[in-house]
Amino acid sequence: MSRLRLPRPILAFPAIGWLLIFFVAPVLLVLWFSFGYKPGVFQTHANDKLSFDRYAEALNPTFFTTFWNTLWVGVAGTLLCLIIAFPVAYWMAAKIPSRYRGLLIALVMVPYWTNFLVRTIGWQIILAPHGWLSAALNWLGLIDGSLDILYTRSAVLLGVVYNYLPLMILPLYVAFDRVSQDMREASKDLGAGRIATLLRVTIPLAMPGIIVGTLLVYIPLMGDYITATVLGGAKGNMAGVLVASQFQTAQNWALGSAMAVLLILLILVSAALAGLIIWLLLLPFNRSRRLVIGVAK
Amino acid sequence: MTTTSGAIAVEKRPDEPAGTVVLDSVTKIFGESTAVDNISLRVEPGEFLSLLGPSGCGKTTTLRMLAGFETPNSGSIRISGEDVLGIPPYKRNVNTVFQAYALFPHLSVAENVAYGLQQKKVPKAEVREKVVSALEMVKMRSFADRKPTQLSGGQQQRIALARALVNQPAVLLLDEPLGALDRQLREEMQLELKLLQSQLGITFIFVTHDQGEALSMSDRIAIMREGKIEQLADAETIYSSPTSAYVAGFIGQQNFFEGTLNKDGNLENSGGKIRAAIPLSAQTGTAVRAAIRPEDITIDSKEPGPQINAISGSLVSISHLGETLQYLVDVGGGHTVLARRPRPGAPRLELKSKVWCTWTPESVLMFHAHEESPGSHDSPEE
Repeated sequence: MSRLRLPRPILAFPAIGWLLIFFVAPVLLVLWFSFGYKPGVFQTHANDKLSFDRYAEALNPTFFTTFWNTLWVGVAGTLLCLIIAFPVAYWMAAKIPSRYRGLLIALVMVPYWTNFLVRTIGWQIILAPHGWLSAALNWLGLIDGSLDILYTRSAVLLGVVYNYLPLMILPLYVAFDRVSQDMREASKDLGAGRIATLLRVTIPLAMPGIIVGTLLVYIPLMGDYITATVLGGAKGNMAGVLVASQFQTAQNWALGSAMAVLLILLILVSAALAGLIIWLLLLPFNRSRRLVIGVAK
Repeated sequence: MTTTSGAIAVEKRPDEPAGTVVLDSVTKIFGESTAVDNISLRVEPGEFLSLLGPSGCGKTTTLRMLAGFETPNSGSIRISGEDVLGIPPYKRNVNTVFQAYALFPHLSVAENVAYGLQQKKVPKAEVREKVVSALEMVKMRSFADRKPTQLSGGQQQRIALARALVNQPAVLLLDEPLGALDRQLREEMQLELKLLQSQLGITFIFVTHDQGEALSMSDRIAIMREGKIEQLADAETIYSSPTSAYVAGFIGQQNFFEGTLNKDGNLENSGGKIRAAIPLSAQTGTAVRAAIRPEDITIDSKEPGPQINAISGSLVSISHLGETLQYLVDVGGGHTVLARRPRPGAPRLELKSKVWCTWTPESVLMFHAHEESPGSHDSPEE
């Protein structure tokens, strides 16, 4: 009675295959296109002559402005998500009776199930210069005249924070949930107050989740073009919009690819740099707490 | 504990020196259930006190109130003569050894032990010195730079102990710290804990549901039941003169006999009579329960002379408990009697043969029957 037994790792192959075909291959293709050129009005790309010319073309002043704008929205949006999600996730994981947690997670997730575009267009209505929010703020006397926020960087920031918040709350919630109450009580028992417990026990133990949440928000946010298109207009332009317009409107795949590669590099370098800066800032703090005893003499 | 400013100088009681713990009519209610019900207790400095009881008796809640993790609904708690109500855990001069140790997994063993000292801003060199001596005290010096996750349960337990004791608290609270260890290690740690406690002179308040643990280590034991202290005494008193059938059944094993009090002050039921040396002062006809410890029962194949405290039955099993032999006798009517004799000189008996169990009136404890016993030891087959 012998049956054919496949090796267990076979279960990982579909996912690896999927990533190879639909992630690695397109990225390599984009990289390849970026060294080519647009040969004529009706062709999108050609690669018979290879050069870095498209990169030179991409790095024009408009592009730099847009990149700077993208980086600003990306960093500010991610930080805002982190600041907003942190207390929410902590409260859900540590303070709320467990029977309400499912409901709260559902409340966080349900808006996320609604179409991304529809949700973003919804903000257009709210933020309209003479919309109801404008009227309400006028009535309260907080502003005078029309609400001038739509089609600005602030509107984009508002939109991305709204759109990506669940992606921050969920990993943070899971991370805080795994820091048991025992840990916090042990810390307090040993003389650490609330802040010290947060800094020395809760945050270090939740760090993997904080990093995951930050990357999960930062990376798609940097490449987002829907929010920027719908709420940003000309003033709130983002790099994703530029890339999309090269592919879709200008039909210049070579230039679009070069911009996409630059955007990928910007995301990688900025994320690595942010990690390095935070590590360096925490170094003195961590050093002062380190205690190595070594072997007995 | 040091008071920071004269403005809120805490009134200290001269009759409660450092290490004294006083609970005064403390009650804690969770929702609809009363976890701790009007408990009053005084623990002397350097005393080893155990809170013993089944789960849900309020022993852990009592400990958590001392640590500052729970606030009583009424009553007051004083540690070293100072009222600690409203004082958060991090400002109390007590430390806890948690049930699951609660060691910080992201810190090394040494950093775990240093945690409390670092919070108090103790100079670095002094921290190092104290950490090393605390680790030496629990024989874990060579594990200082490992992560707690690389240690066994027993080793983690020692680190948890060192992490608490390094702060030199007035009172150490232990929440079933030996529960997760295997039997041999647990017995070893019991001896070490007791030794440490007598060397350091720190007040230990030890929560456990294991009567053996409580008996072997404590100066005094508080037996708790449904949020109340049933009896508070030293191990010998609790073992030999329990004040209720509950305490009698909780500490050690008992043979229980139910019956009614006859006019001579003896228990009488369909099987016969049981006489206690100290009769229960109650009306004739009261439902009573007699308790006799297995080690107080003599077992023999010969019929004894005319005496009241004897019962015959068929020998069901003999089990070897190391230093003693344990006999289980079926006395009919679904009842069994458990007898235990020291191995040297224990009678050689045939299984299924007829045997006689006898005991002296001095070994009989008589209680009112309405006090039900915990864990139902009246059928000692377990």
